[in-house]
Amino acid sequence: MDEVKAFVLEETRDKTGAKLGMWLFILSELLLFGGMFILYSAYRYKNPVDFHHASRELEVLLGTFNTIILLTSSLSMAASISALQRGQRRLSMVLLMATMALGLLFLVNKGLEWGTKIEHGIYPNSPILLARAKGEILFYGLYYVMTGLHGLHVLVGICILCGMLIFIAKDRINQMRFVPLENAGLYWHLVDIIWIFLYPLFYLIT
Amino acid sequence: MTSTGAAESIRPRISFYEDHGRYRGILSWILSLDHKRIGLLYFIFVIGFFFSGVVLGFFMRLEMIAPGGTIMKPRTYNSLFTLHGIIMIFLVVIPAIPTIFGNFFLPIQIGARDVAFPRINLLSWWLYISGATIVALSVFTGEGPPDTGWTFYAPYSLRTTVNVPLAVSGVFILGMSSILTGINLVTTTHRLRAPGMTWKRLPLFVWAIYATSWVQILATPVIGITMVLVFLERFFGVGVFDPTKGGDPILYQHMFWIYSHPATYIMILPAMGIVSDVVPVFARKKIFGYMAIALSGMAIAAVGSLVWGHHMFVSGQSDFANLLFSLLTFLVAVPSAIKVFNWVATLHKGSIVLEPPLLFCLSFIFLFSIGGLTGLIQGALAPNMHLHDTYWIPAHFHYIIFGGMGFGLFAAFHYWFPKMFGRMYNRKTAKIAWIIMFVGFNIFYFSMLLLGWEGMPRRYYDYLPQFRPLHLTATFGSWILIAGLIVMFANLFRGLFKGEKAEDNPWDAATLEWQIPSPPPTENFEKIPVIQHGPYDFKEFSRNG
Amino acid sequence: MKTVKYRTYILVWVGLVILTGMTFSFAGMDLGGWTVLIALAIAGTKSGLVLNYFMHLRSERLLIFRVIIPLVMAVFLVFILLTFADLAFRGGVK
Repeated sequence: MDEVKAFVLEETRDKTGAKLGMWLFILSELLLFGGMFILYSAYRYKNPVDFHHASRELEVLLGTFNTIILLTSSLSMAASISALQRGQRRLSMVLLMATMALGLLFLVNKGLEWGTKIEHGIYPNSPILLARAKGEILFYGLYYVMTGLHGLHVLVGICILCGMLIFIAKDRINQMRFVPLENAGLYWHLVDIIWIFLYPLFYLIT
Repeated sequence: MTSTGAAESIRPRISFYEDHGRYRGILSWILSLDHKRIGLLYFIFVIGFFFSGVVLGFFMRLEMIAPGGTIMKPRTYNSLFTLHGIIMIFLVVIPAIPTIFGNFFLPIQIGARDVAFPRINLLSWWLYISGATIVALSVFTGEGPPDTGWTFYAPYSLRTTVNVPLAVSGVFILGMSSILTGINLVTTTHRLRAPGMTWKRLPLFVWAIYATSWVQILATPVIGITMVLVFLERFFGVGVFDPTKGGDPILYQHMFWIYSHPATYIMILPAMGIVSDVVPVFARKKIFGYMAIALSGMAIAAVGSLVWGHHMFVSGQSDFANLLFSLLTFLVAVPSAIKVFNWVATLHKGSIVLEPPLLFCLSFIFLFSIGGLTGLIQGALAPNMHLHDTYWIPAHFHYIIFGGMGFGLFAAFHYWFPKMFGRMYNRKTAKIAWIIMFVGFNIFYFSMLLLGWEGMPRRYYDYLPQFRPLHLTATFGSWILIAGLIVMFANLFRGLFKGEKAEDNPWDAATLEWQIPSPPPTENFEKIPVIQHGPYDFKEFSRNG
Repeated sequence: MKTVKYRTYILVWVGLVILTGMTFSFAGMDLGGWTVLIALAIAGTKSGLVLNYFMHLRSERLLIFRVIIPLVMAVFLVFILLTFADLAFRGGVK
């Protein structure tokens, strides 16, 4: 029996191993953002009023809309994998493209938000920002870095999904072999989870 | 019962050196997916960086041989100790054992043909080289290397005009390399163990690397983000650590040490794993308390992640935090002490074979114990007030990092040399090198303990005349130590080319790497073995042949 | 791995949208110190849905998969609590 196991170990691709590796990478990403959440908590604890004031300047509706966009993109991502597992190749690709489109829309909105703030002279080290209360300077510092880092991850995610799309088109990822798509999905959902926390912590401070 | 017709491929029986795969020459090395070649690539560069770190240390000690300026200006001295720290910590001590011996031997010890993700393994090495290059660039470009100490404390690191951004970028890339290595080795240990290789039959070296890899995955991201923030502060003035913008420099220290303390366990755990593997072989006796050693490694990884505040007792931390961190620091000594006890208990009534690997392990136990005990002294709040930022601290950590991890690394060199290279070095010369190093080490670093106790500040270029005798002694000790290092490396280097051919199992050990040829063939095993006994079961092993 | 039904995903999505609506409404109310905790609890629930259903953690059988999220939560908690042991008591224990 052990010899059969040894033989199997030799010849099969290890899907669970690939998935485990991806999850471990996700853990490291969670702690990368976790470090920033520690700083956020510290500075919000020290400057509760300033954080509240600064938060009210953010466009809550746009932020909420962006949250829904990302949640929907997670839906299309998960569905894309299901479709591929059922052999519905075209549907899978359409759903994948929808995910990418939603991600792009998220980034456009983010860009607009940033653009508005920068137009008003509120960006790191700007004279207008530096004239404000310390807590507000910190709020915006954290805002730009955390949403910026998050946005970078969304961008990378879109590129990865583009790669997956090409692989599906070339039949390198298909009903029999879909682990790379699953792993890409895991990454995308991670990006969604980070935003799930960023949203209330920046837009909804009362 | 198994139909092997379709699947039995022909596995080369030539050594992995001769089987160069798709490429020729240097490409067959730097584009290799073979964990053994990648391990050796790390070997070459880690040793190279170690030499450069030693040279920096040599010049530091030369400058400190007398008060005032001796051979350099103060800023140069600051850059020297900064670079010495960055190189030794990020390019040598943190990567060394996991990337050299973890890569080379973990797969073999668990009965696998390679790691779980060979391409990620190669990527890790390229990231290591890239990070090192960026650090090198920080030395030779612009206004020169950082002078902040390897700790890059804010706000000075935000203001000093030297190459801090380059250096912290290098550290970030090196961190990515470390995380990927950790992911690879955890997955390998979970997924690629041979049939019959249960968790309780794993060599303790594997357990040690496993614990280490978890710390790499979970702690490294925090310094990653911290380095990014320093970079962003310098270029965009974000304000997160800058007091003029409301930032708290102590928060920088928290973020920095949340990684950098567990990093010291990334450094020491693999070396402890080596001692746990080597001692039974040279005592001809099963390890005492296998599960205690395996689990104490996991405990060190866990509890060691809770003590970082002990670097900040005098920084302005709250008294409550000071108390908490001091208590936790005392707790983390317990699993380490369990290991020391178990190693000594293994030696007790064993049939001791005094070969070089064992000598290095014995000195590890002695030097690590001194390091650990001095750690307890400085972990207590009242003494820490006096000892912090004195020579006591670098003396303590050199006992642990050099006396502990360094000597553990040298034990690994001498233990696994015949397996990796198929040759044996001159054992007598190795023992002579060892005694020279051991004597030089203690003269050097014990003097530093005394200097610190007397109040000599660290990272100081100049000092009061009363400290002169001990500084002289320390520098003298450093020369003896370096002489020993030269003898050791020359001996190993010579053995590489002129050493006698080694047998497959010169030490008569029972772990899997000794059951395959020296040097190993590319895919390690002709057939994946089915494991039926533990890693130190010498009696069973010799019965089965 | 069993293929998850589209219906399950859509139901999860509906739950996520509802929870988002909830967190949005709670922000309008004045709940003092509880606000952060409620916001975090809702965010935690949303993440739980994404982890378990979209990321299929619910259907994983191996121990390691069940351990990793609690592990990373514990690590993060420890980091933040010990940091606050400093920050919250700078003026001395009151």
